[in-house]
Amino acid sequence: MMGVADTCFLIDWARFSQRDLLFELFELVLVPEQVLAEVRSESTLLWLSRQLGRRRLQLLTPLPRQLEEAYRIVRASYAIHGLRRLDLPEAICLVVGREHGYVVLTENRGALMIREVLPELSDVVVWRALEVLRELLLRQHVSARSEEEVRALFRRYEEETLHIFPRDELEAVVEEVLRSARGRGTRGAEG
Amino acid sequence: MADWDFIRSQPPRLRAALELYVETGDLRLAQRISGLVLEDFVELLKKAGLRTGL
Amino acid sequence: MPSPGPSARKSRRLAELLRLDREAREIRREMADWDFIRAQPPRVRAALEYLVEDDDLYVAARIAGLAIEEMNELRIRARIPKVI
Repeated sequence: MMGVADTCFLIDWARFSQRDLLFELFELVLVPEQVLAEVRSESTLLWLSRQLGRRRLQLLTPLPRQLEEAYRIVRASYAIHGLRRLDLPEAICLVVGREHGYVVLTENRGALMIREVLPELSDVVVWRALEVLRELLLRQHVSARSEEEVRALFRRYEEETLHIFPRDELEAVVEEVLRSARGRGTRGAEG
Repeated sequence: MADWDFIRSQPPRLRAALELYVETGDLRLAQRISGLVLEDFVELLKKAGLRTGL
Repeated sequence: MPSPGPSARKSRRLAELLRLDREAREIRREMADWDFIRAQPPRVRAALEYLVEDDDLYVAARIAGLAIEEMNELRIRARIPKVI
């Protein structure tokens, strides 16, 4: 699976003690070049540069036509009343995600909203850290043998990044993970 | 021969770029991480005891 | 009862996201360390107060004249959560 991540997602994710789990899900994640200019801490810079060196991250330089399309999406976000505005970097990620079928990794609510409004973006898969952690659990890249262990993963992310998952969405994800685990357990007993 | 004392004493961005260069030899990528123009980055490599082949 | 069509689901999802937006602002207002925020220099204080009202880190960083990661570190020190 391939992804394209915006700066805000990466800057939060880089604070997570289990940040390398990202590469259990994604063989490659594209990142905007601007992320290098927006990062200052040694820990994050070293992590980014090592992952770039290992070809797990790759710098993204948008083509002129992708930039043009991204500008159009940004303008649309301003024009639609009540919608959270989108910034250009998130819009570029959406364009690239749509063109190549990559999962867009973002914490921008505007990116989540715009795909509900613009038909051409409706098939773009957009994940927040909530969905990334969900997938890590569902695909068993993280072992969690109890509900407490499932919740502990989300809690660790929240504490380390001061990022709070919306409660009802978190509960739905926890339930989905537990249901999937119960299903695997049943199949194992039958097999 | 890499001067690791010099490398570790650099500000975060330059240190990350130098370590990346040592690990991969990817000059252009390391230069982009450094934020320096190529000529300045090559000078930094020399100070760090690293060869570029240029 | 037939399940809602795609456009009804989209409208519902959009309404949920807008509701989340409003709830997130309330959570940020409650959790923020206002003593810390008020003690900051003007530009940083303005950026943090913006971040309480609207959680766009990119804009906050531009107000403060900082890199996004630096702004994010300040956000955490000011106990302003990201709710998403």
